[in-house]
Amino acid sequence: MDSVFEELYQKYHHDVFQFLFYMVRNKEQAEDLVQEVYIRVFKSYHRFEGKSSEKTWLFSIARNVAIDSFRKQKGWKGRLLEKFDWSQSQIKDDYPIPEEITIQKEEIKWIYQCLDHCTVDQRSVVILRFLNDLSITETAQALDWTESKVKTTQHRALKVLKKHMEMFRDKEGLESEEVRVER
Amino acid sequence: MKKSEWSDKQLEELLRQMPKIEDHRNPRDIYQNLSIKKRKRTAWLIPSFAAAAALLLFFILAPRLLEGTQSFNSAKQEDVRSEEKISLADDKSSILNKNEEDGLSGAEPKMRMTEMNKTAIYDDEVENGKVITYWVPDSQAQIIVPISLIVPQVGNKNWLTLFTESMGLLKEEEWGLTDYYPLDASFELDETNNTVIVDVPSDHKYGQGSTGEKIFLDILQKTIASNSQVNKIILKTNGQPGIEFGNYGVMDELEVNPEGKHGYFLYTPDGMDTTYHVPSTDTFQDINAAFEAMKTNQAEGGLVASIGPFFQIKEVSIQDNKLIIHIDENTPMENNLETLRSFEAILLTAKEFGVETIMVVNAPIKLLGPFDLSKETKVPLAPNHRPIE
Repeated sequence: MDSVFEELYQKYHHDVFQFLFYMVRNKEQAEDLVQEVYIRVFKSYHRFEGKSSEKTWLFSIARNVAIDSFRKQKGWKGRLLEKFDWSQSQIKDDYPIPEEITIQKEEIKWIYQCLDHCTVDQRSVVILRFLNDLSITETAQALDWTESKVKTTQHRALKVLKKHMEMFRDKEGLESEEVRVER
Repeated sequence: MKKSEWSDKQLEELLRQMPKIEDHRNPRDIYQNLSIKKRKRTAWLIPSFAAAAALLLFFILAPRLLEGTQSFNSAKQEDVRSEEKISLADDKSSILNKNEEDGLSGAEPKMRMTEMNKTAIYDDEVENGKVITYWVPDSQAQIIVPISLIVPQVGNKNWLTLFTESMGLLKEEEWGLTDYYPLDASFELDETNNTVIVDVPSDHKYGQGSTGEKIFLDILQKTIASNSQVNKIILKTNGQPGIEFGNYGVMDELEVNPEGKHGYFLYTPDGMDTTYHVPSTDTFQDINAAFEAMKTNQAEGGLVASIGPFFQIKEVSIQDNKLIIHIDENTPMENNLETLRSFEAILLTAKEFGVETIMVVNAPIKLLGPFDLSKETKVPLAPNHRPIE
C-alpha cells in the first residue's frame, strides 16, 4: 500500500467518511465518494501547498466531491425533467435511515431528518462545525469562505433546524394529545 | 400545551450527539478499489483512439474501395478469358503427363505436386538401373553430401565399374557443391578378398592440407560403404603400396565399417533452392536419440534441424523392421514441402537403424506430397536423387 494513502487513512478517513455520509445520507454512496476523494487527493497531492492544514484541505475536496455527486445524480435528464415536472421537485429522497440513527433517542432521529431541509451550504457548515468539531476558522478554510460567512450560514442553518424541530415536536404533541383524548 | 423553543445550545448539543458513522471496509480493499478505478478512468481513451483511427482509415480507403469494385468487374471479364486459356493448357499438359509418366503411382496432375517431389530414391523408381551414391563435399568443404544416381545397368558390369564410369556425369557445381569428381585415381575390385584397390598417380593432390586429406579418406570410406559390402580399401600410389598424406603420413590400407545409425539433417547450399538430406557425423544409440537430435540445428557445417514443430512425434516403436510413429494429435501438420522434407529425413534415418517400412499413426493429413500416410511407406534406397542425362 502507498504510504501516503496509509497516513491519510489513519488520520482522516473516519472524519471524511462521517462528513460524506451526513452530506449524502447514504452509506453506499458515501463509500463510493470517499474513494473519489482519495483519487482526487492523489491527483493533486503534489500541488498541496501546506497553506491550509491537511485536514481542511481534505474536507474541501470532500465537499466538492459531494456537490459534484449531487449534480451527477440529477444528470442532464433529471435536470431537464425537473424543468417540466414541478411535482417531482417536491418528492424528497427516502433513503433508509441507517441503524446507527434508529437506535438513538427521538430527538436525534428528528434532527437527522431536519438536516435534509437545509441547503447544501448550510448542511456542510453544520456537519463540519458540530459533527467534525472544526472551529469557525477551520470551517472557513475548508469551504474557502470568510469567517463571517460561516457564522451567518451556521446561524441560518440552526434557524431552519429549529423550525423543523418545532414541527416534529408539535406533531408529537398532537399525537400524544390524541392518545389522551382516546383515553 | 407548552410551546418551549429549542435553543441554539440545545440544537448544537443534539448535533454533537449524532452517532459516528464508520466505514467498516478494510483499508486494503479501499486502496485496491482505488487502483482499479484509476485504470477505469482511462479505459475510454483506447477505444476512442481506435475508433478515430478506424474512421480515418475508412475515409482514406473509401474512394479506393469504390474504384476497386469497378476494376474488379473488368478483372472478372479478363479472368474468364484467362480461364479459357488455362483449360486449354490443362488439356495439353494432361496429354503430356500421360505420355511421360505411367509408372508413377499416386502422381496426381496437380501443379503443386510437381513441386513436392520426393528427393530420395525408392525401389519403384529404379526399374532395371543401379543406384550409385557419391559423397560430395559442400562448397565450403565442411560436410559431405550423399548424391545418388540411377545408372542404367548395361551388360554384366559390377558396381565399381558403374561407379567409375558415371563419376564424370556429376555436375557438382551446378548442384551447389564442390567439383570433386571424377576422382583422380583408378579403382579395382578384388572380390576374393572383398577389397577395393585405389591407385592414385604420383602427382595427386589429395595429400595437401589436413581437411583435404580427411575429406578424401572420408569420401572413399563412405562411398565404398554405401555402394558395397567391401570391408577394406588398399591404397596405392602409381602401383606402389601406400599413399602419402601430409598429416597422416603414409597409409597402406583403410578399414571400411558399414555405415549406419546416423540422423539425417537438412542442408541448403547458399543461394540455392535445393535442399539436401545429409547424415550427421555422429552416430546415435537408438532411433529416439536420433529423432531428438534432428529437432535442433547442428553446429557443424550448416546442418539444419529436419524435424520441425509441425511434425510432433509422440511415440516411436519398432516391430519386425517396421517403425510405428505416433504423431501428436495437436501437431499443425500440413501437406507442404517442409513436412515432406521432415518425413523423408525420418525415412532415411529409419533406414540407418535397419527399418524397412514406416507406419504413421494419427497423422492429421492423409496425403503428404506423393506419400499416402494411411499406408505403410518403404524406406528409400538412397538419399538425394539427382537425375542424369
